[in-house]
Amino acid sequence: MSKKLILCLTLAATALFACKPERLVTPSEPVKSLTGSWQIIRATRNGTDLTSRFDFTQFRIVFTDSTYVIDSLVPFITSKNGKWAFDDPTYPFNISFAPADSPVKSAPMQFPISSGVRNLILTFSPGCSLNSYQYTLQKAN
Amino acid sequence: MKKNIFSSAPASPGRRKIWSWTWKIACALVIMVIVSCSMTIDTVVQPSSVNGGDILPVTLNVTISTNQAQTSTFIVAVLVPKVWKTAQNATITFTSDITSGDQQMTVVPSGTPAPNGGGLDWPTYLVSKIGNGGNLLPDYEWVAFQSNSPYSVAGNVTFHATVSIKIKTSVDNVLFKLGYCVANGTDGLSDPSRYGSYLSTDCFEVNGTGDVIDFCNPQLANVDPRTSLDNDIITLTFDGGVESTVLDNASQVYLCISGITTAGDSLSVCEQTSRTKMKSLGLSRWQIDIWPRKLFGLTDDQHLTGLRYWFTDASGNNKVGYAGTTDPFIYTFKCE
Repeated sequence: MSKKLILCLTLAATALFACKPERLVTPSEPVKSLTGSWQIIRATRNGTDLTSRFDFTQFRIVFTDSTYVIDSLVPFITSKNGKWAFDDPTYPFNISFAPADSPVKSAPMQFPISSGVRNLILTFSPGCSLNSYQYTLQKAN
Repeated sequence: MKKNIFSSAPASPGRRKIWSWTWKIACALVIMVIVSCSMTIDTVVQPSSVNGGDILPVTLNVTISTNQAQTSTFIVAVLVPKVWKTAQNATITFTSDITSGDQQMTVVPSGTPAPNGGGLDWPTYLVSKIGNGGNLLPDYEWVAFQSNSPYSVAGNVTFHATVSIKIKTSVDNVLFKLGYCVANGTDGLSDPSRYGSYLSTDCFEVNGTGDVIDFCNPQLANVDPRTSLDNDIITLTFDGGVESTVLDNASQVYLCISGITTAGDSLSVCEQTSRTKMKSLGLSRWQIDIWPRKLFGLTDDQHLTGLRYWFTDASGNNKVGYAGTTDPFIYTFKCE
């Protein structure tokens, strides 16, 4: 057997064993997290901007994995502390609030990133259902 | 090699004359095409008043002229108070020289962009192009209806249409300036010659029940939104420019207000502090946004049926109420 043949067989064997199946991992959408303290940065009523006209600055809502606590209440989806949940943790379009001893209330939500900052936009009617409020919240520092 | 038509050799005087006339004739034809396509509301027949909850019947006599054959839907829009919920409570039909029998119309679905409207839907585009008809409260709306079928119309014809509008009014007392618009579904409101509009200068009256919703006359006081409950944020505006009052020279204006509970109790907040201080909007107009549940410190079991309120100066001694008297302005909470 010639040296060239041995060399070729060695190279072929090396190349063969150098191959291995590659596991392709599909990128997954992360589960959305609300954990932290959020404040209102913009508020509208029936499209009218109320942000600078009404004091929303003290309002805070602190989310843990499953509970929420409200401080300095303003007209909101709920007025009592309790538990919260997304309709879909990966692709949430609704958030529900289950205050203690009160019915569950849910509201449409958006969760966009604007200027590198995550926003939580909630649409709801705290009083008359004919009036629509939209609050944009960001994490409080 | 392409010939540059703008840099060709100077034309002879004869050719220049021919070109000059050609351009003039072309421009005249273009202008004729634009001008000759018209849609006008010739007359509007409507009552001066109806009783609350009754049907408001309106007839529009419309003339339509075309310059070229076109197939389009017919659009009729009405300017009405929101409280009538006209999209659900109106029927519009029309007859015309080119159709047979009553032609049915239905509400243009919400969000449908108006032709040449830059993405705006019909109600929004109608407000921006035709306006609010001089109605002073924001609770008005344009509601657009379109014919259920498109119609093919020959060029260079003039024909008439009679539009029958029937709107079931609400039971509320209302003063309102009605408005109407007719257009076609292809051109929309692209040019005033393509549509017809009529804005009533007279104030239409509904003799109903409850507080008068007066869109026609400037009000000393106004509450926005008109429909709300005690857990809403409500905006109270004092317009001192409407008439002379004891607050004409006030440098600061405060709200003095009572909330009436469902149990009949009266809860009063009548003080001259930061929580009742109104913001100046200029021209003797003052505004404050309140959240009644917090302002009156309501418990979970307490709910308000209405408000009674006045405006005062910093001393609290000069007080303005309904029609400039010391009687309170009254606001009733409701949601319908």
